[in-house]
Amino acid sequence: MVDISTKISGIKLKTPLMLASGILGTAGTSLKRIAVFGGASAIVTKSLGVEPRSGHKGPTIVKSIAGGLISAIGLANPGYEAFKEELDIAKEGGVPVIGSAYGFSFREYIEVAQALESYGASAVELNLSYPNVGKTGAFYGKHTELSYEVVKAVKESVNIPVFAKLTANVSDIVKVAKACEEAGVDAITAITSLEAMKIDVNTGRPVLGNKVGGLSGPCIKPIALRCVYAITKEVDVPVIGCGGITTGEDALEFIMAGAQACQIGTGILTRGITIFKKIAREMEEIMEKQGYRNLDEIRGIAH
Amino acid sequence: MRVTKIKEIIRETERIRTFVFEEKVDALPGQFVMVWIPDVDEKPLSLSKHKGDLTITVLAQGPFTNKMAELKVGDKVGIRGPFGRGFKIIGDNLLLVGGGVGVPPLAALADKAVEEGKNVTAIVGAITASELLFVDRLENIGARVLTCTDDGTAGKKGFTTDLLRDLLQKETFDSCYTCGPEIMMVKVLEQTKAKGIPTQVSMERYVKCGIGICGHCIVDGTGQRVCKEGPVFRDIEVEKITEFGKYRRDASGTKVYFRNR
Ligand SMILES: Cc1cc2nc3c(=O)[nH]c(=O)nc-3n(C[C@H](O)[C@H](O)[C@H](O)COP(=O)(O)OP(=O)(O)OC[C@H]3O[C@@H](n4cnc5c(N)ncnc54)[C@H](O)[C@@H]3O)c2cc1C
Ligand SMILES: Cc1cc2nc3c(=O)[nH]c(=O)nc-3n(C[C@H](O)[C@H](O)[C@H](O)COP(=O)(O)O)c2cc1C
Ligand code: FES
Repeated sequence: MVDISTKISGIKLKTPLMLASGILGTAGTSLKRIAVFGGASAIVTKSLGVEPRSGHKGPTIVKSIAGGLISAIGLANPGYEAFKEELDIAKEGGVPVIGSAYGFSFREYIEVAQALESYGASAVELNLSYPNVGKTGAFYGKHTELSYEVVKAVKESVNIPVFAKLTANVSDIVKVAKACEEAGVDAITAITSLEAMKIDVNTGRPVLGNKVGGLSGPCIKPIALRCVYAITKEVDVPVIGCGGITTGEDALEFIMAGAQACQIGTGILTRGITIFKKIAREMEEIMEKQGYRNLDEIRGIAH
Repeated sequence: MRVTKIKEIIRETERIRTFVFEEKVDALPGQFVMVWIPDVDEKPLSLSKHKGDLTITVLAQGPFTNKMAELKVGDKVGIRGPFGRGFKIIGDNLLLVGGGVGVPPLAALADKAVEEGKNVTAIVGAITASELLFVDRLENIGARVLTCTDDGTAGKKGFTTDLLRDLLQKETFDSCYTCGPEIMMVKVLEQTKAKGIPTQVSMERYVKCGIGICGHCIVDGTGQRVCKEGPVFRDIEVEKITEFGKYRRDASGTKVYFRNR
């Protein structure tokens, strides 16, 4: 019998396959559906801020090459206060709920993180990396010192585990990961979507309402995998791999690169909401065939 | 994203225009497309013909749709889709109940139903005579059309739901299809449920990605995506959608409650 359960910062996961932030995560009922019907082992909310945000004008999404998407939703969210009741519904899904927080200042990050803790989130993931909104994520995640300080500030303000979600649009992601570790982060999520754009040649105009956005999906998997490999080599805190994971083979690659768990987003597009169940089955099949009994046995073996 | 040109513009009423594009479609009535005006925005609009030239019918009511009203033949727009789940034709004797700009997808449905040899009765309502949509088009394909206006300037004075009540006292149908203001659809469902007529409703929620990934069009109760599992839902599904007739979420995801009931 193959066992693919895992644990991250003391949070038990029946499989390593979590829902990534910003995917079907703006309402509790949706998160619950992904847990119950989809089979996700944990669900991460849409990134929440202090105030409601309508986000960017459309198009907010355009399909890209090789199953990729370029998106610029623009952190549309109802603000954390609206999520008190959404989180209660999400928790009915019976799996850990992780609140994603962003802020325009340290104080805002702290405010959102504390609220999410009081609403019963199992952990908070800091969105340091969202490339679309001029002043926030990119600003923090692209500066080693700011990343350190925001993680430290939030760590000092909440008791639940704090995850930091990183961008690969930096010269050295390992440096940022190390800074987060020094600041006391409990886990690192790598990576968020990569800065990208699409131009329509009929009109000569950028397609996205925000002109630029973030690339996600299978086309970024090799980049994400290499980031996880590089980070786990230098950093001791657990790493959650994210970026293009669509099959059981993809997920196993991330585990073998050293990831503790995985997050899945764009894969839902091609494989539907039940992708979490499908990938779990595929992982078990491959592991069975290769004679692997559990994830600990293969974690990081590519090093 | 495909870019196409406007081939024809038909002024249906003062604020409603039909746009015919150079691109062809073969879709289900009830499905929608995302229409992009470069440098302006992109919004969901229902197909008002299911086959042939891509055709949409738009009520000018805000920044994007007002901009659409300014477009000219030959102008370029981007199209994504068709997306979503369309109407499913059940039985031979169909009843359509449409209010305002909810009529276009029903007109597409009527086309397909008539093609398949079904009997179509359509109740079409609007605020006033000049806003009544597609009465001629529906009559021309052989549908029986009953009209009403809030102010009595055409057809019966009153709401589609009043006409429906009268009709269902005399006749019955194999299935019913409704699209329009949500409060109207709530009342249609109440009546058809009482008579045991299977009903499909087309719902509107704030659509961003249109492909079922962002979650902005979610409905509470089931967590379904209007852009993917909808916009057409069956009555048994709607019963589980707890927000139906009560509220919808705006662009930020904040709940906005419907006025009056
Ligand atoms: C599946 C679907 C099919 C539709 N079909 C038609 C149609 O055939 N003809 C037609 O005239 N209209 C249709 N609509 C409504 C149309 O999308 C809105 O009228 C349009 O988006 C308004 O944009 P605006 O900038 O002109 O007005 P705004 O002032 O921005 O909004 C006017 C109203 O439209 C709503 N709205 C705005 N943006 C969106 C959005 N992205 N998604 C959903 N609702 C929005 C607002 O909540 C408000 O109630 C459809 C909507 C959906 C979801
Ligand atoms: C539509 C969309 C919205 C997203 N919103 C967020 C967000 O709010 N916060 C965040 O941290 N990441 C967000 N992301 C990034 C994803 O969580 C994920 O890191 C990225 O898409 C790569 O994974 P994937 O290839 O499996 O989708 C979003 C991605 C997409 C496609
Ligand atoms: S609009 Fe994005 S999921 Fe429906």
